[in-house]
Amino acid sequence: MATAPTSTYSPSNSWERARQQQKKSLFRKEDWVRSDGRNFHQCRPAFLRTGATNAASGSAYAEFGSTKVIVSVFGPRESKKAMMYSDTGRLNCHVSYTTFSAPIRGQGTDNKEYSSMLHKALESAIILETFPKTTVDIFALVLESGGGDLPVIISCASLALADAGIMMYDLVSAVSLSCFGTNLVIDPTTEEEACRDGSFMISYMPSRNEITQFTLTGEWSTAKINEALELCLDACSKLAEIMRSCLKDNVLS
Amino acid sequence: MTESIQSNTQRVGPILAVPLLSAILTATFSRAWIIFASLLAARGGYFPGFFRSHNGHFMNPDTNYQKKKKKNPDIISWLQVTRVMARMASADIMCVESKAVKEKFTGIIRQQDVRATEIDKVDMYLSFRPGDIVRALVLSLGDARAYYLSTAKNELGVVSAQSLTGATMVPISWTEMQCPLTGQVEKRKVATIE
Repeated sequence: MATAPTSTYSPSNSWERARQQQKKSLFRKEDWVRSDGRNFHQCRPAFLRTGATNAASGSAYAEFGSTKVIVSVFGPRESKKAMMYSDTGRLNCHVSYTTFSAPIRGQGTDNKEYSSMLHKALESAIILETFPKTTVDIFALVLESGGGDLPVIISCASLALADAGIMMYDLVSAVSLSCFGTNLVIDPTTEEEACRDGSFMISYMPSRNEITQFTLTGEWSTAKINEALELCLDACSKLAEIMRSCLKDNVLS
Repeated sequence: MTESIQSNTQRVGPILAVPLLSAILTATFSRAWIIFASLLAARGGYFPGFFRSHNGHFMNPDTNYQKKKKKNPDIISWLQVTRVMARMASADIMCVESKAVKEKFTGIIRQQDVRATEIDKVDMYLSFRPGDIVRALVLSLGDARAYYLSTAKNELGVVSAQSLTGATMVPISWTEMQCPLTGQVEKRKVATIE
């Protein structure tokens, strides 16, 4: 937020920094209220639907607060001719942001890594041996970026994979958490993510009790990590239940 | 993914070793003596062995509507020939068993797999032409570019073809088809479907 692309108008650097400092000190207080009225350990309500696109083998749409993501899964389909033969299937993930997803026009923050992070989160959940030689393509499109994008993308992608009929060991649900001084705040929004001290993200397979991906940034003490881990695992299990009931509703309809 | 299967599973005594092929065919995997479903499906109800997948296709445990299969069971597929070369014919696989694939896969029929007898004297141009609909057997996964297919049985081969004039030809023997408009006879490796 301190640097903005030159083509758009933005306030001067010093003013931005002062505002951030103010926010950071505000967020470190024990009693600050989040902008959407949630308490620190409350996730945003989730709206999930499968079957969003017809052209794809499977698709899902997720809305978590103001973060809106649509994921399409194609496959298993023939790999490109240039690829070598492989005994196991391949996974190809691509995450893209629409131009209108963020307040500042353009790509936004470090989402170039999101494609490979999505790949790592999902590849241990999919039984790749069931589709040798072929590729499953996952295309995630973020329609609106309201914070906590990658966890929403991962959860939505595993719903889309289930909708497509790709064999998996379990659904993957993901949750992120930010720390502000001593406060641990789950499922942060964009404004909270901008001023945080550290972030913690987990992708989890609840019925196997296995973590597929774990991302940690910033400064953390062991005690805080343990507390954050417990919070996130619990949130992931609850999210997976919601995902499962969404799938059941869509199967019966 | 512990949908319908887990509801009627008992603990299996000794460790249940599920070989991969049956894991694919039954859409399950096992872990710690419990069988888990690896796909989303609703129980078909009437036939105990059948599952109805959520977008309406009946999924017989012996086939899988998504994937290409290999080896043991004889998988009949329907193809359309795209290219004919000196030693092989390249074709698009459009249907496997009775399910159409969403996106086509590429297969090749090699010279030695066209028929069962005199396999080194096969002339590919007298067996297939581009545009023919062929019924073939999937031999194997093949190489990186294509699946290997075979028409080396009586009931495999060209099922429908168009003559040079554009009319659908009528088979007259296992090597010939005749155009109904001009009477011209063209050579193909014809499938005799009983």
